[in-house]
Amino acid sequence: MTDELKFPGNAGRDRDSIDESLVHLIRDAYTPPGGDAYWAGLERRIMARVGSDATGDSRWWNVLAPWAKPALIAAAAIFALASVINQNIGDSDSQVAYDSVLQSVTPDVLATSEELSSMGRGTDGATLSYFLSH
Amino acid sequence: MRIPDEERALAEAARGGDQNAFAGLVRLHQRRAYLVARAIVTVHEDAEDAVQEGFIRAWQALDRFDPSQGFSAWVNRIVANAALDITRRRKVRTTEELSDALQSPFRDPAQDAELKSRLGEALAELPERARSVIVLHDIEGFTHVEIGEMLGIPGGTARSDLHHARQKLRELLKDLRG
Repeated sequence: MTDELKFPGNAGRDRDSIDESLVHLIRDAYTPPGGDAYWAGLERRIMARVGSDATGDSRWWNVLAPWAKPALIAAAAIFALASVINQNIGDSDSQVAYDSVLQSVTPDVLATSEELSSMGRGTDGATLSYFLSH
Repeated sequence: MRIPDEERALAEAARGGDQNAFAGLVRLHQRRAYLVARAIVTVHEDAEDAVQEGFIRAWQALDRFDPSQGFSAWVNRIVANAALDITRRRKVRTTEELSDALQSPFRDPAQDAELKSRLGEALAELPERARSVIVLHDIEGFTHVEIGEMLGIPGGTARSDLHHARQKLRELLKDLRG
């Protein structure tokens, strides 16, 4: 058993120290419960917690910990790839939308002109021409 | 500072993950660690909690421990921090609790009950840090520097706290000292 309870403090006592009787009283009050059984029990409780902490190495986050760095790199690469693909898809979508607008507007305009000109040839066309000219 | 060979060997082995070696360190140092914790938290149950918590933290931080330094000083600092954490969580510490602590069943029942009660009241009157400093220095024999390291204050502050704590304690107990 250790000799740590020899209280080396007496070497540090000085003229300003509190009375020896008070020291004894406080020391007595603060002395831990005696008996080796108590200390053996405390040691067991501490080591039980140490043991459970040590077995914690097999917990899932500890198992996965070595994979954290590769996983981060892979995630960054996937993110970058996804960004590029997204950008390309976005560009082609824009192009398709642009083309579709152009394609849909031009024939309609032409169709309207043709309709108007054909309408102008009939009886209704005279009426329409009248309205358009006034 | 000369580190005993046994302690150095145990610390080295514990750093390598040897739980039996760490148990040896616990066996060697738990009593002193308890006294450090008790000086700070005053109540037995809290001191016990602080010791347990301190040793667990020490186990988890062993890779940061320098075996050329004393394990005792290192673990005492950790236990002191655990004790301070407990006092922060339980800010209110009543005079009754301290008086009860002083009248613990582990002590000689023949001692004067009134004196114990008055001492408990006087210690409760002291600021928390002053109480810790006076117990760590005058009862446990730590130096100002060691106390400063444990409590996270400069050694000079520990010295000054000690002086004021002694004065206050004497003042509070002057009618008992005849």
